[in-house]
Amino acid sequence: MERNSLDRLKEEYLETPIPEELDFLVRKAFKDRRAYKMKRNNIWKKIGVTAASIVVCVGILTAGINGSPAFAATLSKVPVLKSIVRVLTFREYTVKEGKYKADIKVPSIQGLKNKDLENTLNEKYLEENKKLYEDFMADMEDMKKSNTDGHMGVDSGYTVLTDTDKILSVARYVVNTVGSSSTVMKYDTIDKEKEILITLPSLFKDDSYVDIISENIKEQMIAQNKADENKIYWVEGVNTDFEPFQKISADQNFYITAEGKLVLSFDKYEVAPGYMGTVEFEIPTDILSEILVSDEYIK
Amino acid sequence: MAPMNKDSLEELIAEHAVQYKEHYYRLAYSYVRNADDALDIVQESIYKAISSMDSLKNPNSIRTWFYRIVVNTSLDFLRKRKKTSPAEEEVLTRLDFGRTDRYEDFDLKKALDQLPEKYRTVVILRFFEDLKIEEIAEVLDVNTNTVKTRLYASFEKLRLTLNENSMEV
Repeated sequence: MERNSLDRLKEEYLETPIPEELDFLVRKAFKDRRAYKMKRNNIWKKIGVTAASIVVCVGILTAGINGSPAFAATLSKVPVLKSIVRVLTFREYTVKEGKYKADIKVPSIQGLKNKDLENTLNEKYLEENKKLYEDFMADMEDMKKSNTDGHMGVDSGYTVLTDTDKILSVARYVVNTVGSSSTVMKYDTIDKEKEILITLPSLFKDDSYVDIISENIKEQMIAQNKADENKIYWVEGVNTDFEPFQKISADQNFYITAEGKLVLSFDKYEVAPGYMGTVEFEIPTDILSEILVSDEYIK
Repeated sequence: MAPMNKDSLEELIAEHAVQYKEHYYRLAYSYVRNADDALDIVQESIYKAISSMDSLKNPNSIRTWFYRIVVNTSLDFLRKRKKTSPAEEEVLTRLDFGRTDRYEDFDLKKALDQLPEKYRTVVILRFFEDLKIEEIAEVLDVNTNTVKTRLYASFEKLRLTLNENSMEV
């Protein structure tokens, strides 16, 4: 009876063995994508709004100074109140369970009069690090459940790169050790006097900075490799095993040094093999001078 | 029905995927026949589902929407893997069951596995996943007559005879 044959077939089909990992994989896929999308959305939302206001701010200030000697004179008479802006460790999450280790330090910026900016940044730090911790705990539980013999580590903290009267640059790092480790960097640069967040696009008159900076970085990569063949970058002219570096992204990681130099940063594996680690390039100010909005930050 | 906001739509998709994950896995498995690839396809399908959330017009048709993504992802996978054009698999007549024509030697399971994927898929979706003809048409983006034709042809090759129930729309 072929109804039976078809039913038998159906039975066999339904008996396809389902791997244990399926459930974990499905849930993780949603978790990961949500986190990725959330992070991107949050960052963009906040940067988007602030960038718009910064460009207007700086634009007006520059025009004012150039346009009117009276205005300039008035400005110089206003005493500049030096507020003490500091970065402290607000909270630290630690986990030490056999092969599972986590150490997450949450920075907090103190001393800004612009409480909106201060709170926005600090909340962002807390939120992201709390999530790091929670993800770690969840992944650890899952790993234990699936009896996978593995180790996991998360190490996150921050470094104050630049702290002058004018500028505060804070770098946050997340080092993930699962299998081969990966390091992800995030930077926030603040104008301490105006108490605003400085974004990469806000430094320039238009978006030609993307091409100008990208070309310079490619030159530096090739030059470094010529001088030392152990320095490998994924770029035309050195190594194109992987997708070669073409352009920086419009909001590429960056910070400003105490000397007023612009430094661009790439995560491990972003433009070079893992052993090169996090790679940075200082961009010579003279190639930027035409397109910089002002020499307020970059000298 | 008021349009859902993005977050609750994503919640819905997540709940649905977790609930139906075995169905999607089995469907993917029917294409690639190995666990690792089937898992890859499921994962890839979820990513695609999230990125193309906007294409889900009606949350009630989430099942057919998702099946469609899994079918397309599985086909992409096969294409990349085999690098032969899927067109070669479309022609049912090239199949040769000829040599062993004796009924006793006829292995139904083998015959099903050997059906070209276009035909096998309609059999699976209709009889193992219990989709209606109209739903299958949505999943495969063809019209209902095409689905029926493929079912008829598959049954012939599988040496089964159709009864009225099989063709219920």
